[in-house]
Amino acid sequence: MVISGLATGSIYALMALALVIVYNATRALNFAQGEMLMVSAFLAWTAQRAFGLPFWASIVVAIGGAALLGFIVERVIVRRSPTATHWDVLIITLGLSLVLRALAGMVWSHDEFPFPSLFSNRPVVVGPVRLAPVSLGIIGASLSLMLALYVLFTRTRLGRAMRAVAQNPRAARLMGVSVERMSSISWVLAAMVGAVAGVLVAPVVFLSTKMGLIVISGFTAAVLGGFGSMPGAVAGGMLLGVIENLAPLYLPSAIRYAVPFLLLIGILTVRPAGLLGRATTRKV
Amino acid sequence: MRTWIIGLLVATLTAASATPAAAQQGVTDTEIVLGCSNSFSGPLAFTGEQATRFGVDLYFRTLNDAGGLNGRKVRTVYYDDAYKPQDAAANTKKLVEQDKIFAVIAPQGTPPVVATLDYLEENKVPLLFPFQGSPITRGKKYVFSGMTLYDRQSRMMIDYLVGERKYKTFAALYQDDEYGKAFLTAFEKDLARHRLKLAAAEPVKRGATDVSAQIAKLQAAKPEVTFLVLVPAPGAQALKERQKIGWTDTVMVSAGPLTDERYLSLAADAAEGVEGLSLWPDPATSDLPGVRQYREAMKRHFPKNEPNRYSLSGYFAAMLFSEGAKRAGKNLTRESLVTGLESVKDWDSGILPPITIGPDHETQKQGFWVKVEKMRFKTLTDWLKSE
Repeated sequence: MVISGLATGSIYALMALALVIVYNATRALNFAQGEMLMVSAFLAWTAQRAFGLPFWASIVVAIGGAALLGFIVERVIVRRSPTATHWDVLIITLGLSLVLRALAGMVWSHDEFPFPSLFSNRPVVVGPVRLAPVSLGIIGASLSLMLALYVLFTRTRLGRAMRAVAQNPRAARLMGVSVERMSSISWVLAAMVGAVAGVLVAPVVFLSTKMGLIVISGFTAAVLGGFGSMPGAVAGGMLLGVIENLAPLYLPSAIRYAVPFLLLIGILTVRPAGLLGRATTRKV
Repeated sequence: MRTWIIGLLVATLTAASATPAAAQQGVTDTEIVLGCSNSFSGPLAFTGEQATRFGVDLYFRTLNDAGGLNGRKVRTVYYDDAYKPQDAAANTKKLVEQDKIFAVIAPQGTPPVVATLDYLEENKVPLLFPFQGSPITRGKKYVFSGMTLYDRQSRMMIDYLVGERKYKTFAALYQDDEYGKAFLTAFEKDLARHRLKLAAAEPVKRGATDVSAQIAKLQAAKPEVTFLVLVPAPGAQALKERQKIGWTDTVMVSAGPLTDERYLSLAADAAEGVEGLSLWPDPATSDLPGVRQYREAMKRHFPKNEPNRYSLSGYFAAMLFSEGAKRAGKNLTRESLVTGLESVKDWDSGILPPITIGPDHETQKQGFWVKVEKMRFKTLTDWLKSE
């Protein structure tokens, strides 16, 4: 149960990361992240079904499609509203999520579809425990992606520039970093991370226009970890996944969906900045 | 301006009152209008679309091409409720009051159908063959049940599993609403008849897809048989979860509404060995004459659409309506339709065993046992009895 919780948690963590990446660069919350994930998963599925591409190639299509979608959304919508406040962008992305879901419903219908998995669902027995390769696969793939992101953000010029923008856009601009370019790159990057999460989660929850709702869990995870903190997002996601899976074992199953939020309220009361978030005082 | 409006009002009122009072809403000399609220989005979208546009409409197209019913062509109107009771209630009101339908045919899902029940009965609008089986539809003058009612399904399942298969411990994973609870109540009653009890029962929220916690809890109760009373996606999820945790010493049994190809294809190899109550003959392979005609009609009108039990159920509903309307004769009213349907006796559709409706307004009363072998339902029994 813990392993399968960690697997769910990895997906939440990826979603949370995608949200945090965009937030750090643009101070905007992307509520359409879930629907962008859904569209990328559908693209992968279409690539397999309609064009007979092998599974690996279809993942590339999904990630590429997501990158393009992220780029377009940033260029066409987010950047065109420079005077918009963060609240406006939030509502724009919320609207975008509804639009994407409706369009996807028209193109692919609102059915659920089986989505092939990279990993087998049959358990392997290791000593006293049974492990499902699908859970291990999801955890492994997510961890590799997180590691890659870590390297990107700490070891490359681009990563440093992105972090600089996150810390202080004006100072970064004075240092010669293009804030616009960073904003664009972070939307693309976030969409790509979302696409990977989508391809990983689709075999588990089935492919459907509803799967974008997972963004809510990603959001919870991000807040849990302290919004803006990337290690916090990962920790928050994992914690959320495990708690969601374990809680119903000890409590009535119906309470499952309430537990993460109870926890969220609890943590925010005690530590308003989240588990790993830095406490900030805002000047008024 | 004011006189103009009043003039218009008077004209409209005169026009309205000019229509003969005897005429039946939704029936003219050339047309009969039927309709329903159904799922065209949401968890049962596939089912809804198939039952109506590819099922009900398929039969009516064939019928209209052959001249219709007593010279009247049948037209259908549908609205989407996404499996939400509140939307179903609003849609149904719109159908009756704006689209002026004659009768409601083949709506889907227990919660949405139940939400429209009182309204239709009060307004004397026939509710024909809803694709749901809660016994709550019994004993209404204008309601004719569709699917074999859940308490009958439960009786067939439990009598077969306890009587012939000698199983003793049972558990259930059920959808937490009218649909699941109607089954749960029936299971408890039928088990009590055999002096048995449900070992465990776990609810699943409507629309949820993750059932891992419930499956873990059910496994802990060690039942020999686990009933699944769900819709396709969480049903398939339950099978996958069970495969994932390696729970092999229970027989998973799907209730009638769930035993379908869709649930099978979502679960893929996790469905192997699953058993269930099937309410329809295999739409793709059955040799029954009615099912063959259905397949030929499908090939002619919708060649791209694969046969499945949902379109078959809609096709059957349209067929049964037509039989009732034929018996009602040229003067088709809601009252004469009810009388016509009540007079159906030993009617052979070529799809299901002969149907007798009578005053209880129950149309289908049977089901048979199937087991999944290599992604197909293999028939294990003849039609089971529910009397």
